[in-house]
Amino acid sequence: MADYDRRGGGGRGGGGGYNRKRRYRDDNEDDNHYRGNNSRRRYDAPPHVRIRKQLIAIAENPMVERHDEISQIANLFTENWDDDVLLRGNFTDLVLQLCVEQPLKTPFLAGVLMVVNTNKPEAVDLLLEKVARLIEDKLREGEWRDVKLYLKLVGCLQGVLEGEGVFGVLGELFERAVGLQTASSEDTIGTEIVKIILLTLPYVMAAGSPEQQQQWQQNAAELLENTAIIASEPHPLQAVIEPYHPEVGEENPSQSQSLISLLQAQLQVEATQGWALSCLPRPWQFPVSEVETVAKLASAKKHVLPAIVIPKTVVTGPRPLFPEVYISVYGQQEVESVPPPTSLASSLIRDALLDTINVLHFNRNATARQLIEVDCYFAPRTFALRGTPFDRLRDIEKPKSTWKPEDVAVDAVFTQLFLLPNPEHKLVYYHSVLTEACKLAPAAIAPSLGRAIRYLYRNAPRMDLELAYRFMDWFSHHLSNFGFTWKWTEWVDDVELSGLHPRKAFIVGSIDKEIRLSFAQRIKNTLPEPYQKLIGPDKEKDVPDFKFANDDTPFAAEGREIAALLKRKAPDEEIDAVIQRIQSQAIDRDLDALVASTDVFVTCVLYVGSKSLSHVLAAIERTKDRLADAGAASDASRTQIIEAVMAYWSVHPGVALSIVEKLLNYSILTPLTVINWALNVQAGKTRGQALAYAHIYELVFNTVIKVTGRVRQLVVKASQPDEMVDDETRDNEVKNMRELFQAIEDSLGAWATGTKDEMLEKGEEGSDELVKRWGTRWLRVFKRRQAIEEAFLIEAVRERERKEEVRKEWEVVEQQRAEEKAKREAAEKEKNGTNGEEAKKKENGEDGGEGDVE
Amino acid sequence: MRGVRATVDRLDRPSAYFNNSRHKRRRFDKDQRDGDDDTAGMHPEQREDDDPLKNATTLYVGNLSFFTTEEQVYELFSKCGEIKRLVMGLDRFNKTPCGFCFVEYYTHQDALDCMKYIGGTKLDERIIRTDLDPGFEEGRQYGRGKSGGQVRDEYREDYDEGRGGLGRAIARDREGRDFVDDGRLR
Repeated sequence: MADYDRRGGGGRGGGGGYNRKRRYRDDNEDDNHYRGNNSRRRYDAPPHVRIRKQLIAIAENPMVERHDEISQIANLFTENWDDDVLLRGNFTDLVLQLCVEQPLKTPFLAGVLMVVNTNKPEAVDLLLEKVARLIEDKLREGEWRDVKLYLKLVGCLQGVLEGEGVFGVLGELFERAVGLQTASSEDTIGTEIVKIILLTLPYVMAAGSPEQQQQWQQNAAELLENTAIIASEPHPLQAVIEPYHPEVGEENPSQSQSLISLLQAQLQVEATQGWALSCLPRPWQFPVSEVETVAKLASAKKHVLPAIVIPKTVVTGPRPLFPEVYISVYGQQEVESVPPPTSLASSLIRDALLDTINVLHFNRNATARQLIEVDCYFAPRTFALRGTPFDRLRDIEKPKSTWKPEDVAVDAVFTQLFLLPNPEHKLVYYHSVLTEACKLAPAAIAPSLGRAIRYLYRNAPRMDLELAYRFMDWFSHHLSNFGFTWKWTEWVDDVELSGLHPRKAFIVGSIDKEIRLSFAQRIKNTLPEPYQKLIGPDKEKDVPDFKFANDDTPFAAEGREIAALLKRKAPDEEIDAVIQRIQSQAIDRDLDALVASTDVFVTCVLYVGSKSLSHVLAAIERTKDRLADAGAASDASRTQIIEAVMAYWSVHPGVALSIVEKLLNYSILTPLTVINWALNVQAGKTRGQALAYAHIYELVFNTVIKVTGRVRQLVVKASQPDEMVDDETRDNEVKNMRELFQAIEDSLGAWATGTKDEMLEKGEEGSDELVKRWGTRWLRVFKRRQAIEEAFLIEAVRERERKEEVRKEWEVVEQQRAEEKAKREAAEKEKNGTNGEEAKKKENGEDGGEGDVE
Repeated sequence: MRGVRATVDRLDRPSAYFNNSRHKRRRFDKDQRDGDDDTAGMHPEQREDDDPLKNATTLYVGNLSFFTTEEQVYELFSKCGEIKRLVMGLDRFNKTPCGFCFVEYYTHQDALDCMKYIGGTKLDERIIRTDLDPGFEEGRQYGRGKSGGQVRDEYREDYDEGRGGLGRAIARDREGRDFVDDGRLR
């Protein structure tokens, strides 16, 4: 990089093209550029390539002084301003793209722009015009994160804006939020807007010189006074997304705080402390030694922020909005390893990290790298040294920071993994980010993850059940990427707990998931002795036993016969005959004939297909008509289908679940059958114990997601004019979904209150309380799902209307703009007479300089 | 098309393997100038319409252990969405798994997510690779190596327990020869 400096701006051949000027080796050249004798001649990349490269990598290298890097990029750009016209647009576009793709870098980009401003202020005008239009677009689309990220850039540029700058936009946004909040107490868009305002404010306040800041304090105070009411108002949906719930008899630990009320409080504290904002980087502040730049920056041109039209109607946008609460897996530690929730730094750092994580979903390696390098993107000394072990934090003397960058990064990923109702991306994305982070910096990240796991394990009983399941799913998946190593010995005491204890349930569930990703013998080898008994000998069998191989099983002979017929793909009539025989025998024995024959038949299909999932799927495909008939014959017979599947594959529930999923696709099973089997039949048989089995939860959850996913698909399709979805189909599916939720609620409600028939007789000591607790936890999950789906149905209609409003409104704005432009041009033309053409050119921002190609 | 190039690479793009095999013919027709290698990547917009991967729902999955089962693949790959079909790659002669498979999802988005979140992570303690694929066709489930498995296992000199130990045959004429990953597009 250093050699770019020496080149200066002069001696450039033909404008804009690839500069193939040859460079020869000179003595003080860095040898690394050449590899021995067979070195290739090295060509300098053209300026636009170098600028792109440097801009993208800005702030990544901790060995380079920030202000050096910034002036270098800025100078490279302004030096080529005249030679390369394309570069002007490309540069500003790239800055804006980086703002929304790598938001941690925004303050540094603003730094570059401020130095550029001292030389080519028109570049800043060009950028401001573009960003104003982008913010308008994103506001109309409801892309709230992009709005926030662009405002962050504009906020960082507040120092070079005229008058009150960004405060005008923030004020108007606030008015919109007030309107929304007064219209409905359930509004979430208004809350989102206030969040954006509050998160922009610190960047604005950090942007200017002390004198400027002084001047804006009044604006900030007014804004904060206004937002207080909205920010402190708890949202009705907050109870639904609460991640922790007190255990029976436990005192309610203080409810989680809403993110927005915390933010408001943090900012108010910050205001009383004169907006120190100590964690924010200020790369535009040059050391006094750089006298010239400092002077230039102070006297640089100020710009008017172009008008930004904020639509009267605003939309929710592509992602549903929910209230958010603050969580951390590093709370309650003896030494503070992450910023406390009272500190504004906790909100600012996390917000920037979360944006980074969610925006960079298309490259988890890049995400992981930025997470690990988080300390590069904030003010120096915000964090403790990278990789400082937790035990060493207590040796750090005040006022030095004890915040561990690894903890802060890992904490941010966990907030997404544990975000209710859903994070932005599939959960496995967040798994993969943690995996990559751990691969990139194992020594630093692994211990942080270890402490997070311990915290979560301790709190598993209090956790929302959906989150406890996510924890288990992540934990087992994570271990599968790191040789299944975990210090199981520390939980050894819990192996003896009852199966109803949430921590025992976690252990059992995790081991099962590990086995599913691997195999029993392998996992057994990773576990200490006390755990061995959790993996029974049946787990190590590749194929489960065929119960009809044993003559003591009723219908053993018939079972073997059907299996043989299925194997040789015998015609239906032959199978019919055996089934008839089973049914008549069943009647003699006073059994339900249909149930008996269904059990035999389904078990045989499973046995024939036991070699692999492909085998069983092929077997089901061949017998699907008979299976469908069996399912349609009676409720009991249909329930017997799933009963047979779950029984045959009871040691490998993963396989059972895959089969059930396919049977649902074939409509051989109905969602209601699955729910009934899980929550009434199986849970009843085990007196509630089944509610503690992770695979039962998984079965019910997956089934519900399948149903709600279908409804959502239909609702979206029905709103598109060219799709052939009639209202009746949709309404029918909605009705089915509601019935399903009702059935779940009825059953779980009974378990939660202890009124389920099976619970009427007194059970083992203490087990009733645990069962009720499981019922309550389950109930909460599915009530939330129901609330979300109902909200989706309502919102889908409203959002469509809002979009239409926004569209109409925008048409008017565009027309006005076109008229104004025409008027202005006419006036210019009149004024300038023959010089009209030139004036027009100027207006388009291309000042007809020498390198201009038009 | 996504238009502007992202500031960091995307992981949900087809690999060079796919692009190379697609454009090999085109490139051979031209006179081969030095440094002309990346012409295939230079005009993405021209090839957009006939891109066979633009709605791809299938993935080729490579570097599996011979012992990895369908159930394990299901378990991991279901994390990106419901699996429509799974075809295990088999040895042409003895019909045993030979270390690759095709996973088909119901949606293109699930396939892209799988590229982003699962490709390059471990299954059965091996780093697996995923690549977008225009779709499974009968016959592609079989290895194309001389001995029935994947060609890469013929020429492998290292000892890989999960893939049958040493390479099955060490070709003398390895120089100048393209490695072909079996079951995949030619």
